[in-house]
Amino acid sequence: MKKNVYELKYRYHTGSVAWVLHRLSGLALILYLVLHIWVISNLNNPAGFNKVMAFLNEPLFKLLELGLWGVIIYHAINGLRVILVDFFGGSKNQKKLFWGVVVVGIVVFIAGAVPFIGNLK
Amino acid sequence: MKVTFKIQRFIPENDTKPSFKEYVVEAQPNTTILDCLNDIRWHYDETLSFRRSCGHAICGSCAMNINGKNGLACQTHVQDLKSGAITVKPLPSFPIIKDLVVDLDKFYEKFNKIKPYLINDGPVPEKERLQSPEQQKLIEESTTCILCAACTSSCPSFWADDDYLGPSALLKAYRYIFDTRDTSAEERLSVVNDKHGVFRCHTIFNCNEACPKDINITNHIAKLKTALVTTKL
Repeated sequence: MKKNVYELKYRYHTGSVAWVLHRLSGLALILYLVLHIWVISNLNNPAGFNKVMAFLNEPLFKLLELGLWGVIIYHAINGLRVILVDFFGGSKNQKKLFWGVVVVGIVVFIAGAVPFIGNLK
Repeated sequence: MKVTFKIQRFIPENDTKPSFKEYVVEAQPNTTILDCLNDIRWHYDETLSFRRSCGHAICGSCAMNINGKNGLACQTHVQDLKSGAITVKPLPSFPIIKDLVVDLDKFYEKFNKIKPYLINDGPVPEKERLQSPEQQKLIEESTTCILCAACTSSCPSFWADDDYLGPSALLKAYRYIFDTRDTSAEERLSVVNDKHGVFRCHTIFNCNEACPKDINITNHIAKLKTALVTTKL
């Protein structure tokens, strides 16, 4: 009798970390889209919509919005990295490309986050 | 110096789940993991099972998971690994037959799907089917694969989809599709264009990390993807 015993585990490295982050950010974006559609669906009832919008002005949601900005940036720029790997021979430099994604991502994040925080006051 | 090995043991007939057994052997920094395993088997515990054959990184028999990374035991030296106990496990994702020996049927099944042999319907030439050095260079890297299964075993896409061809079969598909002597590129491309084919590769790069021959497998899969989106089938 042969039992199917096996393991699904592997040591993490740059490429697999980039992939896990890409998947997680993708899931976060789906979650955001669902929430977004729910918020918009409240437009059926103007009073209810104002209530929801007031709730979303809480500091917690401002923080989450900043997080959303970060998630979008990672997913978008790493998506470009994946295109480079798949169609433009980027696989030889995939590790450098990942660190490129991190550096460009941080710059773009700050460029968006600074005016966002400035507008809060 | 003394080296401690933590080796995964499992006999499907007797055990419910794998367990680890520790062995301490005398080794030099440049002793290979395969030599250490042989030492354990010959002098400490003759019940330990593992595959090995050539001992020179060309047969691909001794692929296993060493300290969390797939590789050939005969090509990995004690000094290549972090100090401390060395953990040896069978290749992930394949059913364990005993200890470090896994069932590779699934692996060969995928390999056969891409028809891993030259197909040429043209008349048989009197001498060899000539290739220019440039034409050979196109497939050179992909021909160095030794079928050790380290890549396919490490691939999360393969873990998630039992029918996924896997990096090794795709690499072999590349080897024939881009071989100028082969005339069945279209047929092979339609095999890798399947939903369990080339687009299941999500560029995780585990295969590249695992390959003991340092083949850039992801790059070859990427070239298949490019060929599929730029040619009409």
